[in-house]
Amino acid sequence: MAAEADLAGEYFEQLFARYEQAVTALGGAGTLDLGMAGLRLRLRFAGAGLREGLLAPFEHLACGDGGAPELTISLFDTASSGIEPPAPLWQPIGAAPGTNPIARLRSERACVLAAAGSRGLTAALPAEGIAVFHLPDATAVAASERAAPIREALQLLMAARGPLMTHAGAVGRDGNGVLLVGRGGSGKSTLALSCALAGMDIVADDYVLLEPDSLIAHAMQSTAKLTEDSAARLGIPPEVIDPAGFEPTLEGPAKALVDIRDLAPGRMKRGLAITAVVAPVIPALTSRVAAHTAQEIGRESLRRISSGEGLRTVAPSTIVQAGSGGGSGSLATLADLVRRVPSYALELSPDPAANAAAVDRLVAELG
Amino acid sequence: MSESRFRIAPGIVHETVDGEVIAIDLDDGSYYSLAGSGPAIWELLEGGASEAEIGAALAASFEAEEAEIGAAVSALLGQMQENGLIVASEGGGSGAPPARSSEKSPFEVPRLERYDDMKDYFLLDPIHEVDTAGWPRPAA
Repeated sequence: MAAEADLAGEYFEQLFARYEQAVTALGGAGTLDLGMAGLRLRLRFAGAGLREGLLAPFEHLACGDGGAPELTISLFDTASSGIEPPAPLWQPIGAAPGTNPIARLRSERACVLAAAGSRGLTAALPAEGIAVFHLPDATAVAASERAAPIREALQLLMAARGPLMTHAGAVGRDGNGVLLVGRGGSGKSTLALSCALAGMDIVADDYVLLEPDSLIAHAMQSTAKLTEDSAARLGIPPEVIDPAGFEPTLEGPAKALVDIRDLAPGRMKRGLAITAVVAPVIPALTSRVAAHTAQEIGRESLRRISSGEGLRTVAPSTIVQAGSGGGSGSLATLADLVRRVPSYALELSPDPAANAAAVDRLVAELG
Repeated sequence: MSESRFRIAPGIVHETVDGEVIAIDLDDGSYYSLAGSGPAIWELLEGGASEAEIGAALAASFEAEEAEIGAAVSALLGQMQENGLIVASEGGGSGAPPARSSEKSPFEVPRLERYDDMKDYFLLDPIHEVDTAGWPRPAA
């Protein structure tokens, strides 16, 4: 049987050739070698603006052991190199304000993702561990790209090696920690940052790379996103907030970026072994007083929930938001997680320190 | 009872944990929880059993009138079909009769719950598959 034309694979080759032209045009490429999720990842970039605009949040994972990379992502932009990406194989998709529809072209070997809102273009050969990422202008990067830079490329390459990009934060102590799960707006980020400010270790507020088997949650970028309300409640000093300030997000309230290393020096870790899943719950107004009282008298605001409820909290937002296609393998990894570690709901108190203390006690108990 | 057979619809990913089936519809971002005797029905359906065979297998394992079980199975299959979780299947079943369990447990009505809270996200970040003709095909 004749093989169908591998359009996605061909598009990858064309985009990669354009990257090489950009390198030539700019007289060379920069590299940033990282150790991420136990893998050596090389970021190659044509145009210094890319490092500043997009890659700074990965600098904390820099490693110079000189080993051959297992994964490589090559980045270029048109503004600095003058090189355009190949003509799209798809009809342009209109992006209504505040949306980021993605055109996806897939084959067994390759995956191409073109985001109409952020205008990021990703092409990857996941099994071969290589990807190319293009932006029109790295100096005018959309807030969504800066919050989760090269997310699609990382997701595709990592998934082929095992680590699942999971929509969760992770905090802990002494190498062990809990996964903080829930959809956007559930209080994950605020809780994760409360924990870091209370002296706990943190891997991420929003996305981790979860390694199956070992259940280690690995860090990607060192940035976190928070709303103005959270920044006020956590008492975040204005000088650590990204100069771009609070920008509208796809999911609703405006958020600003902070670098966790500035916010809680020394607390950012590369990975934590996960011993529980914790879903923060913002209590209904009527039960808030009761919850607060319960905490004041020292009663635990944590309650065990079923593994099914744990899976329902972590899986849909991980899998549905996976632009690069979450599948049955991703759900199986998360199901294995909730079968192996207990799940809890944490009724959030208005006092961030009380919430952090509840998580800290759980981490200590599960040690 | 009906000899209709079903299979899990393409685009549905699912896992069973702790007596609950979690199923996610990758095409529209909705997700489901199936509990009670639902997971047992789901497992039989996945194995290719017909509606009648599912009813018989459940009657062999649970304490309830066959008619009550039959009605519950039929209602659940209808609900799952309506939600696009399962589609009619042409293929034959396993043929093997279900093993009769020595001790019957109380029958719990299957419970299917649908969650749509991811749909807003899905609409913000929709995926348009591009087919070989180069045209995006809307996902939902």
